[in-house]
Amino acid sequence: MIKTSAIPVGKISLLLAILIWLGLLLVDLVRIFGVINNLDSGISEEVTWGLEILFFFFTYFLYRHVFWKSKQVDFVTLLWRGASTGLFAAIAGLLTELIFFALGDSKIGKDPFLQTIFYHLNFAWSSVFLISTALLWKHLILYQKTKKVVKQWQVFELSMLAALFFIFFNHNNFDYSFLFALVILLVISILLSANLKWIPYLNFKEKWKTILFLFLILLSATLLFYRILAYGNEERFQINLTDNLFLMALFGFVMVYGLFSFLVTLFNLPTSSVFEQKLKEALNFQKLSQSIQPEENEEHVLDILVESCISASFSDGAWIALNPTEQLKIQNPLRFIEPSTLTELTALLPAEFQNWTLTPTNELQPYSIRLKHPSYKSALLVPLLVNKTLLAQIVLVKEVKEGFNKEMVNIIGTFARQASISVENHRLLNQAISSERYQEELKIAQRVQKALLPLQLDHPSSFDICAYSNTADEVGGDYYDTYQVDEHRFVLIIGDVSGKGTSAAFHMAQMKGVFQSLIQMGLGPADFMIKANSALSKCLERNHFITASIFELNTLSQQFRHARAGHIPTLWYSAHAHTAEFIAVDGLGLGIVRNQNYENHVQEVTGNYQAGDFLILLTDGILESRNDVGEQFGYTRLKELVEANSQMPPLQLQKAIIDSLHQFVGGDGMIDDDYSLVVVKFK
Amino acid sequence: MLQIEKVREGDALILQLIGEVDASNSVLLDQSIQESLQPEITVVVIDGQKLKYISSAGLGVFMSYVDDFSERGIHFSIFGLTQQVGEVFKILGLDRVIAIVPDKSTAIAFRK
Repeated sequence: MIKTSAIPVGKISLLLAILIWLGLLLVDLVRIFGVINNLDSGISEEVTWGLEILFFFFTYFLYRHVFWKSKQVDFVTLLWRGASTGLFAAIAGLLTELIFFALGDSKIGKDPFLQTIFYHLNFAWSSVFLISTALLWKHLILYQKTKKVVKQWQVFELSMLAALFFIFFNHNNFDYSFLFALVILLVISILLSANLKWIPYLNFKEKWKTILFLFLILLSATLLFYRILAYGNEERFQINLTDNLFLMALFGFVMVYGLFSFLVTLFNLPTSSVFEQKLKEALNFQKLSQSIQPEENEEHVLDILVESCISASFSDGAWIALNPTEQLKIQNPLRFIEPSTLTELTALLPAEFQNWTLTPTNELQPYSIRLKHPSYKSALLVPLLVNKTLLAQIVLVKEVKEGFNKEMVNIIGTFARQASISVENHRLLNQAISSERYQEELKIAQRVQKALLPLQLDHPSSFDICAYSNTADEVGGDYYDTYQVDEHRFVLIIGDVSGKGTSAAFHMAQMKGVFQSLIQMGLGPADFMIKANSALSKCLERNHFITASIFELNTLSQQFRHARAGHIPTLWYSAHAHTAEFIAVDGLGLGIVRNQNYENHVQEVTGNYQAGDFLILLTDGILESRNDVGEQFGYTRLKELVEANSQMPPLQLQKAIIDSLHQFVGGDGMIDDDYSLVVVKFK
Repeated sequence: MLQIEKVREGDALILQLIGEVDASNSVLLDQSIQESLQPEITVVVIDGQKLKYISSAGLGVFMSYVDDFSERGIHFSIFGLTQQVGEVFKILGLDRVIAIVPDKSTAIAFRK
């Protein structure tokens, strides 16, 4: 198997070009030897021409390869390479002339062989310079490739290829056909020279370097051209390598494009700063739009904004005045301004500058004002609006009067708007992140709170019990619980914390703690309320209270003891009487009177229950739920509902109550309060 | 919606509550009482004739002032409550702590 490896085009081309040049030299030396010794060397001129063409070809391939390799190299470096090649060729030419001038009329000076060798050397340098420069021009012309430009270049290359072989028809005579062909090639060169789109991309410094290098290339080309013309006029050489259409056209092309580039770059110098400025503004704009990443802050945007504004307006100084009500701090609000100057300048600004409460109705534009300050004569105020409030104002100052033209004001206005958008986006993003976090926290709270309500309700076989609780927000303040005191005694409690949401949820948790700890002491309902009031008084906020209802059921004696602390009265359905009544007992909410006096505000009642009786413990969310005309669900509706459905088992009755409540509120109506329900049915 | 109308009659401050007091606007009620408490006031009266509904959060506001008022020697009373709202006060037992009086003249009669 044959391994295909990359062919070193450059090295092969270089080697072949050198070999061909040596061949060319040898052929011409042999011919001269023949002429001098009146011998027919038998070598025709076509051999020389053929070798010359081959030499051009390989030089072309060599440099095409060089340029292909240096695609990423910038223009100035490429131009420097061209200029250095040219200088080398020109200086070598001059040195040759100097040597022959020094030798004068001496024998060596007149030696035809030596002269021929130097002639060939000069020919080689000139060709290398011209071909490499032409390829450099190609690179520049095709910088912004369009179909049209590529076509133009192809036409030129084909014409040059034809020019290479022109010598076989024309036999190196300087006749009209030569002139005609040269003119055509020059015209194409001129047309190509209109493609100078690479120049605007140079910055000011690069333009100066470009001008210098182009000048050197033009100078070298001119010197070499004169040398070659001088050779052409002498009849010393048996064969003329340089009076060649290809070389002449190349000279033309190199000179024309070089000259055009030189002049255009020169005339572009004064406006290049404008171009650079626009480029910088575009970059600043981009920077402002991308400036805020979630981890960065608003000060960063203000920093970029100030820098952008200064550079867009050529300001001599600037500072950022922040709205004191906004929680913003900036490391260095002053730019090129002394703190003492700041005080002076602030005093000169209009009164509304200090008025941060001003709520602008429409978008504010930057506006310029005159200053009566020894150093600064004009100022531009740039308001930065975020969510219709003034976040900051940037003050740009200049040492000249009327220093801010319309374009500057416009671009700065655009910068400010872009910065506002960035800040707004940043705030929205942060809000979204934190609200998502709160949602997560609330979900946890919800889970924790659900766990506070008992999953299993302690009860004996002598009664059935079920409970339901719903919260208006993620967490709520309703509470119910059960506790088995001994074999026959069971305690039920239902409670409601004032308010709703998170604060209510915390207090509800406290209530659970109070119940679970006090009830183990074997307290009766009224005593429990008194102790609970005392305990809660120490931990409830002043404007919060808890209402509760507690029952101690004795399944042996079928009696209950009951106390109520400001809570909604419990509905007791008597199977014997077929009626339901709310148990009337006085009792003040827990945490309302926070002293021993509470004892006077709580009562205890006892009752006897029978099989088939119901106890319905509930919270005010049920009774206070309102329909679309503002009517409350109320006591009567609940009483009638229970009386009508007294045959139902507890779970079914509970469901009936909740369904009826939803129906009452209306399909879309939200019950805007926590509500809970505990249903007990005695067997 | 809650609207609070404040009237001064000598050293009596009368706050008329119009609409509903719930968890969202109970803060407003609190602020309103706080603001109007000039040192010379000896009687604070809530006019509940146009109070349609009061939630536990609203009741909490009144409750929180009870001790404060008695320490400062201010007589606090409520009159004109609708049957429904009056019931809420009664169930909670607040009527034992705050004077619920039949009309305005009784309420401001406590002026010194």
